[in-house]
Amino acid sequence: MTAPAVVARDLSRRFGDFTAVDRVSFEVERGEIFGYLGANGAGKSTTIRMLTGLLAPSGGEARVAGHDVRAEPDRVKGAIGYMSQKFSLYLDLPVAENLRFFAGAQGLSGKARDARAAEVLARVGLAGREGAVTASLPGGARQRLALGCAILHRPQVLFLDEPTAGVDPLARRDFWALIRELAAGGTTAFVTTHYLDEAEYCRRIGLMVDGRLVALDTPAALKARWVPGQVLVARGRGLDAAALRRLPGVLAAEPFGAGLHVRLDPDRIGAERVAAALRGAGARELSLASAAPSLEDVFLAVVGGAAQEAAP
Amino acid sequence: MNGRLSRFATRVGAMSFKEALHVRRDPRTLYMALVMPVVMLLLFGYGVSFDVDHLPLAVADGDRSESSRALVRAFTASGEFDRVAEVDPARADDLFRRSRAAAVLVIPWGHARRLAAGRPAAVELLVDGSDGTTANQVLAKADAIVRAEGRRLGPAPASAPPLEVQVLTRYNPAGRSAVYLVPGLAAYLLAIAAVLLTALTVAGEWERGSMEQLFASPVGRLEIILGKLLPYLAIGLVQLLLVLAVGAAVFEVPIAGSLWLVFALGLLFLVGMLGQGLFISVVTRNQLVATQAGALSSLLPSMLLSGMLFPIENMPAPLQALSRVIPARYLVHGLRGAMLKGNGLAVLWPDLASLALFAVVIVALATARFRRRLA
Amino acid sequence: MTAARGAGWVRLAAVARKEWLQTLRDRRIVFMLVVAPLVQTVLFGYAVDFQVDQVPAAVVDGDRTPESRLHLRRLLADGTLRRAAAFESGAAALAAMDRGEVALALVLRPGFGEDLLAGRTARVQAVLDGTDPNRATVAGAAASRYFGERAAELAASRAGVEPPLRLVPRIFYNPSLRTPPYMIPGVLAMLLVVVTTIVTAMGLARERESGTLEQVLVTPVAPMELLAGKMTPFLVLGLFDVLLVLTVGTLLFDLPLRGSLPVLGAGTLLYLLTTLGIGLLISTASRTQQQAFLGGFLFVLPAVLLAGVVTPISSMPRALQLVTWLDPLRYYAELSRAVLQKGAGAAELWPQLLELAAFGIAIFGAAAARFRRELG
Repeated sequence: MTAPAVVARDLSRRFGDFTAVDRVSFEVERGEIFGYLGANGAGKSTTIRMLTGLLAPSGGEARVAGHDVRAEPDRVKGAIGYMSQKFSLYLDLPVAENLRFFAGAQGLSGKARDARAAEVLARVGLAGREGAVTASLPGGARQRLALGCAILHRPQVLFLDEPTAGVDPLARRDFWALIRELAAGGTTAFVTTHYLDEAEYCRRIGLMVDGRLVALDTPAALKARWVPGQVLVARGRGLDAAALRRLPGVLAAEPFGAGLHVRLDPDRIGAERVAAALRGAGARELSLASAAPSLEDVFLAVVGGAAQEAAP
Repeated sequence: MNGRLSRFATRVGAMSFKEALHVRRDPRTLYMALVMPVVMLLLFGYGVSFDVDHLPLAVADGDRSESSRALVRAFTASGEFDRVAEVDPARADDLFRRSRAAAVLVIPWGHARRLAAGRPAAVELLVDGSDGTTANQVLAKADAIVRAEGRRLGPAPASAPPLEVQVLTRYNPAGRSAVYLVPGLAAYLLAIAAVLLTALTVAGEWERGSMEQLFASPVGRLEIILGKLLPYLAIGLVQLLLVLAVGAAVFEVPIAGSLWLVFALGLLFLVGMLGQGLFISVVTRNQLVATQAGALSSLLPSMLLSGMLFPIENMPAPLQALSRVIPARYLVHGLRGAMLKGNGLAVLWPDLASLALFAVVIVALATARFRRRLA
Repeated sequence: MTAARGAGWVRLAAVARKEWLQTLRDRRIVFMLVVAPLVQTVLFGYAVDFQVDQVPAAVVDGDRTPESRLHLRRLLADGTLRRAAAFESGAAALAAMDRGEVALALVLRPGFGEDLLAGRTARVQAVLDGTDPNRATVAGAAASRYFGERAAELAASRAGVEPPLRLVPRIFYNPSLRTPPYMIPGVLAMLLVVVTTIVTAMGLARERESGTLEQVLVTPVAPMELLAGKMTPFLVLGLFDVLLVLTVGTLLFDLPLRGSLPVLGAGTLLYLLTTLGIGLLISTASRTQQQAFLGGFLFVLPAVLLAGVVTPISSMPRALQLVTWLDPLRYYAELSRAVLQKGAGAAELWPQLLELAAFGIAIFGAAAARFRRELG
């Protein structure tokens, strides 16, 4: 079985006059961690809701784990796990009862269910907390429990809709370790996130802008395409971005924190000329360091240039 | 001093305005507050009547004579009874179980002969007693019909009757149920809407956490409470007007007394009910529980213990005592007095005083409980 | 195929178990499901009395003869009327009526006894407070009947003949015409609809609000399994409430249990299917708990009114009587009354059972269909 885990072809969804998802096409390989990025309202959640069978597509088709989401929604539901941004657990029930319920909802019963629940509980690091009422757990633990509830039935594809929203950085790191473990075991993970640093964990990334998928590649390839050249970080006082932009070979100069992000074509201009130009424009205590482009640079470039790029 | 007062008024005004916006945003609330009472009033006004007619009557005529048929005709001619079947008296039970007949008239063989011979003739009426109201009406109506028929058959009255009773009915001479029900219904509908609306909105505010937000602002407790109360008070008064207008227009319910008195009663009652809703929501903080508690504490007592449908003096002593702390009791009594009997302050001041006392106590309780919640 | 069907039961059981635990964990809901029915049964049993008696009467005896005293005493002795006050003048009695202290004033003028002994028509005036028409009718009838009977006796003794026609009533099932045996089956119908409709409507809305509904919908749990699973605990609690009310009714109000309890059980199950289905239907149309509650309320109030629980259906206008055919409460109230008081069984009650079954299936099916459409 080498069929892709998720296939979308011209997948669309309209709400009245508003097109939330516009002819989106992509494939996700088995065992891949696939990041789905975009601003709020770009159509990420709508895409996930169509792929999980919560929402019928208005056009196009989608196959998840080899099953058509429209024709065989029940088979799709048996093959996927879903974790939404709100960690939708029954907060008034104990940890064990949440696991037991979602196992039952997947058709697991008896000894098989109990064994699997214990296994999952250990895996998400909540062994010994079975009796705790879910509402009493801290955010990170709740989120791991939600993940546990989503993987009880060993789904082939895991949909995670902003799984780490509002969770502290340490808990986020632990969570991603779990996701990578699962992916190593062959589970496909389809993740939307706001945190661009997290997107670095993904093998490939799709970028949504206004309902359209405008970029799709590995993080490195995205950076190479959207943030070409070398990036320098300039720090100091009296930095003049406008002066830099006039230099030939400087592709962009944007304020970034207290300093400047300068993108340049290394074939046409070097760091020394940039330093000289800045000093000439009145910079003091200047320091220059070269930096790797981040996905944040990509995101800003894509969102900014999406209009021109997407226009045929 | 003036500045403090105006700041107080500004904050209460801001709270009220925000609350009014909520109400406007959710038209269902307005629907519940304004359309439902009218629908309920029409339903109750037309639907609730204890006066039963066209009662299904089965007949077991063992005589089959001109006299027995005349008696049956006397039963059906008035419109009080409809003849539904001819049965064997032994099957009466079966008919009752299927709810096909409310009574069976049994005329024994020899009826005509006994009458002709001048001997008293007894007819039997089997009554389904499972519904006491209907059974009472059946008995009273059958009794009157047989008595009248007896007078027709008996000797002509010698001269003037020896005893005569003149019956005179005041206030509602036509005996219309709606006239009796509308004032009671006003209390019932106001209680439901007021308690539930406030209980729901405030509990919702707790659930969403916006209440804590409010506490972080300089708005005082009493200001919050008043700000929450005012818009619903306005809705409640509109509701009262609507009920009175529909009552007058559709059911011709009179307002014999002072309209101001009616409003004063309604206003005091509303403050009490809104306070009760607030109190519930402060205590429960949960919409599901608040609604159940609100329904239980407003709907049942105002229907059962207010005297709206069932006379208080017929209840056992403990329930009569309990009814004294139900504000709806005073409103129903006051409204009936003011609307139907034309009573003034001289008669109704105890009702006004009781309503005012309840309102003050419940708002104070809600405010106190509010403060303690936060301490 | 059998494996798939087996999984269906597993999923249904999982939903039912979860719902049951959630309900029992919330002490306040349990309180509402257990204490509210008790309070309502006791309140309705004691407070609602259609039997009008002990009507407070004012007496104005302007005659003060042995005859006037005898007739007043005998009239007030039968229990329908109660002597609440005596006044010197009619005006004072009417003022007491304005204050609501008395509902009837009996006025005997001077010369009543003399007229009676002399064979002239002796007149009595009965002034009624008509605000409560039911009470006024009964009180007026009591006065008319008493004096009518005495008049007939006197006329007969003077003429020497007996009244030619006599009515002998025989009352079935509830000879003393007590209200509780009639009221409590009605309370049962009312209580079940309040508890089950509103609680289920709000329960599903709560899951929608908290996002857990979505979480469940991405599992293979089918809409029918979800709805059936959510209903099961309330079916059990509803049956428990029936037992509770019957027990309280029997202990406190001598509620008779004459008919077939299996028929009552079957009727209850079908009725609960309907009321729970209505709750689910309402919740499919509501986004929030507040909307669900209001929706439930808007159904429950008229449904109770039209069920014939508080007032007889036969007293309603024709148009409203037709509407009552659409009220499931009506059939359940009829069924429970017939079983408890009249000793009826399946032979008599199959139409009600059929009607309840038709309602249950139609409404539950509609809820499931709407629910499924919502996913599209």
